[in-house]
Amino acid sequence: MRYAVRALGWATKILWILIIVFSVTSVYSAMNVRMSLGQPQAFVSSEFILISVPLFVNNAGLYDLSEINMTVAVMDYQQSVLSTSTTFVPLIPRGGNLETTHNVSMSLEDGTSKLLDYLFNDSVFILDMSLKLNFAHSVPFRVSTNMSVPWGAPLYNFSIGQVSYNFLNLTHQEAIIPVSFENHSPYFSVDGVMRVEIFNDNGELFGFSMSDLNVPSHSSYIGQTEIAVDVSRVTGGGEVHFYFETSAFSAGPVVIPYG
Amino acid sequence: MVEKKQTKPFARKFVPKIIKAALLLIITYLPFYFLSVFIEPYQSFFPWYAPTTDLFAAVFMIFLVAGVFTSGTIYQYVFGVARALVTMIFSIYVLNGGIVDLVVPIEGASVNIMVDLTVILAMIVLICLLGIGKNVVQAIDFVSTKGEDKEL
Repeated sequence: MRYAVRALGWATKILWILIIVFSVTSVYSAMNVRMSLGQPQAFVSSEFILISVPLFVNNAGLYDLSEINMTVAVMDYQQSVLSTSTTFVPLIPRGGNLETTHNVSMSLEDGTSKLLDYLFNDSVFILDMSLKLNFAHSVPFRVSTNMSVPWGAPLYNFSIGQVSYNFLNLTHQEAIIPVSFENHSPYFSVDGVMRVEIFNDNGELFGFSMSDLNVPSHSSYIGQTEIAVDVSRVTGGGEVHFYFETSAFSAGPVVIPYG
Repeated sequence: MVEKKQTKPFARKFVPKIIKAALLLIITYLPFYFLSVFIEPYQSFFPWYAPTTDLFAAVFMIFLVAGVFTSGTIYQYVFGVARALVTMIFSIYVLNGGIVDLVVPIEGASVNIMVDLTVILAMIVLICLLGIGKNVVQAIDFVSTKGEDKEL
């Protein structure tokens, strides 16, 4: 009986020591894990918006971090889910580093109206982020948060002024179309080419031109497009179609009536 | 002379017990003290921690002192079992059954933190059960030894 009691006593003591040592070293290790997110990069095409967020983890603790699962759900201001993306890292050993990129892709396949909405109107995205990991292969840990991210439209308040005509010769005139917009995007500048096509009231294309754009973030563009047009087709009204090919996005036609 | 003879066994019997109880109290109080100092900056996230821990520490120490003063009797083991039970219940309560869920406000956003400490809680419960088992075995041993002494 005495031996049994002694064995139980030792087992209890050893287990207490193990728990205390594990708890203390776990807290110490957790305090030595550094995590940070880099500057997000955005890319917009006619099919999707891609936001890449660099993720850095430095595990200077005493235990491994395993099964790291980062999930980001993006919702629009109406709370409808636009995208859910996951980055999985099987293991960051103790003393190891991780540099990866978390890509959030939002499909715009259900119509170009959504893309146009994001190109021309400021909005708010709601990010639902969660990070799960296994600490020391035995303690699951999850941190999650909800945050609103303002979306700045790169072509905010895009508009044209009064179309005017300059005399060139007997058969051709120069249509002058004033164009203005504000690049509200904090992520990218609008640099590329803007193609402008002008149609008359009969829907006939009677002139087009290409203009270079270079509008940095948070700055305005006020310019004009000159198009040589056939005088015989000018009706005084119609539509102007804009196509954008920039390093960050491709969009068009954006149709604006004139006259 | 008679008074002196009565005082001596009393002192011999209780002074070591008082010293032992005092030492055990100090040793037991130290982890609680350091834990409180460590937790203090994060007190707002654990508002329930301080009152619960104070109550637990008080109950645990009462059982500890009672165990010391009743050593040599069956009650020593009864208090030992009570101590292990209190530790077990406190651990389950404080660790919320193993799932610790906190809401921490950071820069205007609320961050939910969930830590699954089931493994650690399971080990603590196991230790407490071992402690209860040990005390029960010791109590049986104590009773049987006493019975043998009486027969002799």
